[in-house]
Amino acid sequence: MMKKLSVLFSAVCVAAGIAATPATAQTKPILIGVPTSMQLQVGRDTQDAIKMAVDDINAKGGVLGRKLEMVVADETENPETGISAIKKLTADEKVDVLIGGYTSGVTLAQLPHISRAKTIYLGVGAASPSITAKVKQDYDDYKYIFRVGPLNSAIQAGQLTDFISNFVKGELGISKIAIVGENAKWVQDLVPLLKKGATAAGADVRVTEMFDAQTSDFSPLFSKVKDSGAQYMVVILSHASSDVFAKQWYDARFPMPYGGIDVKSMDGDFCKRIGGKSIGELAVNFATRAPLTPKTIPFWDEFVKRTSRQPVYTAFGANDAVYIYAQAVERAKTTNADAVIKELEKTNYVGIPGIIQFDATHDVKPGSATYKGPALIFAQWRENCDREVIYPKTMRTAEFVYPPWIKK
Amino acid sequence: MLEILIHGAVSSAIYAMLAVGFTLIFGVARVLNLAHGSFYALGAYGAYYFTSHLHMPLLPAALLAIGLVALFGVFVEKVLVRPMRRSQLAVLMITLAVALVVEQALFLTFGSEYRNVPEFVSRKFTIGGVDVGGQRLLALGVSVVLIGLLWLFIQRTRLGSAILAVSQDPEAASYMGIPSDRIFSIVMALSAALAAAAGVLAGPFLTVQPTMWLLPIVKAFAIVIVGGLGSIPGSILAALMLGYAETIVGYTISTSWTEIVSVAATLLMLVFRPAGMFGKRAAF
Amino acid sequence: MFGKRIDFAGAAGFVAFMAVLPLVFGGNYLIGVLTVSVIYGIWAVSWDFMSGLTGRENFGHSLFIGVGAYTAGFLNTKFGFSGWWSLPASMIAATVFALIIGLPTLRLRGPYFALAMLSGAVIMQRLMLIFWEQTGGEEGINGIEPLIHSQLGFYYFALATLVVTTALLLALARSHWGLILRAIRGDEATCQAAGINVTYYKIASLVISAAFAGAGGALYAHYQLQVSPQLFAVVTSITIITMVYVGGMASIYGPVGGAILLVLLTELLRDFGEWRLMVYSCTLILILFFLPNGLIAPTWRRVKAKLGRPQ
Repeated sequence: MMKKLSVLFSAVCVAAGIAATPATAQTKPILIGVPTSMQLQVGRDTQDAIKMAVDDINAKGGVLGRKLEMVVADETENPETGISAIKKLTADEKVDVLIGGYTSGVTLAQLPHISRAKTIYLGVGAASPSITAKVKQDYDDYKYIFRVGPLNSAIQAGQLTDFISNFVKGELGISKIAIVGENAKWVQDLVPLLKKGATAAGADVRVTEMFDAQTSDFSPLFSKVKDSGAQYMVVILSHASSDVFAKQWYDARFPMPYGGIDVKSMDGDFCKRIGGKSIGELAVNFATRAPLTPKTIPFWDEFVKRTSRQPVYTAFGANDAVYIYAQAVERAKTTNADAVIKELEKTNYVGIPGIIQFDATHDVKPGSATYKGPALIFAQWRENCDREVIYPKTMRTAEFVYPPWIKK
Repeated sequence: MLEILIHGAVSSAIYAMLAVGFTLIFGVARVLNLAHGSFYALGAYGAYYFTSHLHMPLLPAALLAIGLVALFGVFVEKVLVRPMRRSQLAVLMITLAVALVVEQALFLTFGSEYRNVPEFVSRKFTIGGVDVGGQRLLALGVSVVLIGLLWLFIQRTRLGSAILAVSQDPEAASYMGIPSDRIFSIVMALSAALAAAAGVLAGPFLTVQPTMWLLPIVKAFAIVIVGGLGSIPGSILAALMLGYAETIVGYTISTSWTEIVSVAATLLMLVFRPAGMFGKRAAF
Repeated sequence: MFGKRIDFAGAAGFVAFMAVLPLVFGGNYLIGVLTVSVIYGIWAVSWDFMSGLTGRENFGHSLFIGVGAYTAGFLNTKFGFSGWWSLPASMIAATVFALIIGLPTLRLRGPYFALAMLSGAVIMQRLMLIFWEQTGGEEGINGIEPLIHSQLGFYYFALATLVVTTALLLALARSHWGLILRAIRGDEATCQAAGINVTYYKIASLVISAAFAGAGGALYAHYQLQVSPQLFAVVTSITIITMVYVGGMASIYGPVGGAILLVLLTELLRDFGEWRLMVYSCTLILILFFLPNGLIAPTWRRVKAKLGRPQ
């Protein structure tokens, strides 16, 4: 808008010229709008991963003869800025597709505005099931919404329950567990499901404790968990201070192992930046540098080469989303949203964490024993801050070890 | 029970270090310094930067960080706060702007990720069956020593008497030939150094992130209101009360209620006894 | 007399400019930015009426904004009331909160009152998170219906609300009412000695300020189609105070300009990406330093003085 104001005169002057130039439509680039938190790692990785895909596709001649181009807008973690980012991208930049997102609250706030702008949105960061639930409730208004990643929190709860019954109970022989999670919407969705599932699997949930994302002293929490008699602490953290959590766990030599969903622990440098204090933690990853699909390792290495850091989870979805959109446009032979949505619904793409297909609510289908979709991978931090995959068993690279201060 | 006693003491000690400096600069210069939390953040980031990027040993790194933050405090007071001192709102706004600039500078230099300040003591201690990280005990001890030294400095030295005089009556003090502007700078340096020390000591087990200034300033504000603006004994007592109140709430109710304790205490105190427990015109 | 006519012409010119702007440039993006700026204008004016005039800086204005917005959200999504009920309902809710928090705290001076209000807002924000089953937690309330479906229509409605609010508050501020409030700012004890019921005037001004902030909150909820606890955040209050500062304290009309200017500036700084907030904070320091009386009101006074000088 401001650009418009400032270049008003030049715009008026060249307007006639542009109008006179015939048929620029086919050579005009396809614009990918990226609403993301630019100051966070998830946001930087979203941009870099999209850039990688865009460069690759453009090098091969683009889509329908048109180049791809990326426009970024900072959505921070604040709904107001998030909404204005969407308006900027859709109404001012007039992008053809939106790829991005991180905080569930911001994404949910953006949804009605995306729907009003009738622009396709491929989510790569937010996990709340309420996001795609809208597609089911009101298909005509919300058909523009897709989620390429991560798996929604209900599915994560299911897979976490399997982990508790198969691994914690089945292999470690621990049935007394504690569930500790931060007070965020997607965690609030997940905890009741997890508790129910774990109890049904025969685990004894001794205590369930929710805490504020700003909490910086976990000693009261730890003491409650310890007093409850639990022997394994299942965590669900994303915005909270995972770093501080791990440090305080180590500093007090807390007498039980912990693991679960810990979004910050997916960062490649997580263990190093807290001085190795997370060694022993078992945390979920959406992909690791392993041959999950033929794309995983090449993507991983290329990403590390370009950015000299390990990718976080938004990178996988963001990179896949560009290809998925590009292929849907190729098949639809147009960028018209309605036509592209029809093609997106038929997506069957071999992505970085697994095969990407959408279900009836436009949510990514999770992997199972018979289907190689994205699934949670539990990796443990080990000596020298390396990661070893522990669960699922089919992918295991090493056996689980207890932190040194716990005698088993 | 013993856990509450120990952990409450540690939180109280950190709060006291923050609140004493905050109340000191108010008592002496009538400056409500919203950038106080930034000194805490800069202390922690300084220790992080000097150890991990310049590979300095921890103790010199920590001392250097504290010294630089003290200098920064003097700069803020001399250049930014002094011209604004006629209006309390202007001081609030300018120090808030400083806090935002520091936060953004940290964002742009170090990113939003949490950073690791190495600890002085990594051993775990077991006291009566309670496991406590050594760094927490160290923070407790150093805090007691530093506040004690500050108390002696103010009560026993010539400079301390000058500070006291300025806080009680700046006009009369200047008639006596006490250069009040220099006293303000010295007090600001002390206040900033205390906050930075708190950052260096608590950094290893609390959050080190660009927005880490906000919570401490809210807590310091609350403590100082409860204790009485400008009163050092008041703020120490209030730090103990709030530190323990939060710990008790955390242990007995839920950690999600802890953050509301200090704010609610502030509000109640303002409603029922706005001068705070020890609030007088005289600062100490 | 002449001064008044210039004021009126200036105001009319400004309203006309704001009304024509989206017609000339068009685009939902510009309309969206302008709508947000106009709503911030309502908040800034209502802040200035109480705090600017009486000199009691309210660091918790977000309390009334949040209460207004949540009232609108609850009525609309949980109880199915039409959006038009939101405006009166949120004004009433904000009034109630102003009485609850104002009666015990308004006797406090300067920083103490500021802090009491700030604490009130922080407590409300926390409560929204703690009682997430009812309030939707950090995601707040989603699915609020738009008040007017056409974005341009809503913008004009918001602009009209701003004009009415500003006119009313300006009239009040220039009446004997405003005089008393300004007198309280100068010397509360003398006012009391002169037989003025100081408490009554202070409470009444806080209630009026809160009611309009609440109405602005309801507009905001129906524009963003969502409310979240971040509305209660200290940052919201600080942003509004900054706007008043830029506009010129106690002038009532200045903050409107300040709000619109700063919202546009924030959008303009989008191109700075990561540096945006840094540039914003530095601008704030520069303004505080070089324009301590604000930008808008002093500029207008100067323009007026030039025009009003007899030739």
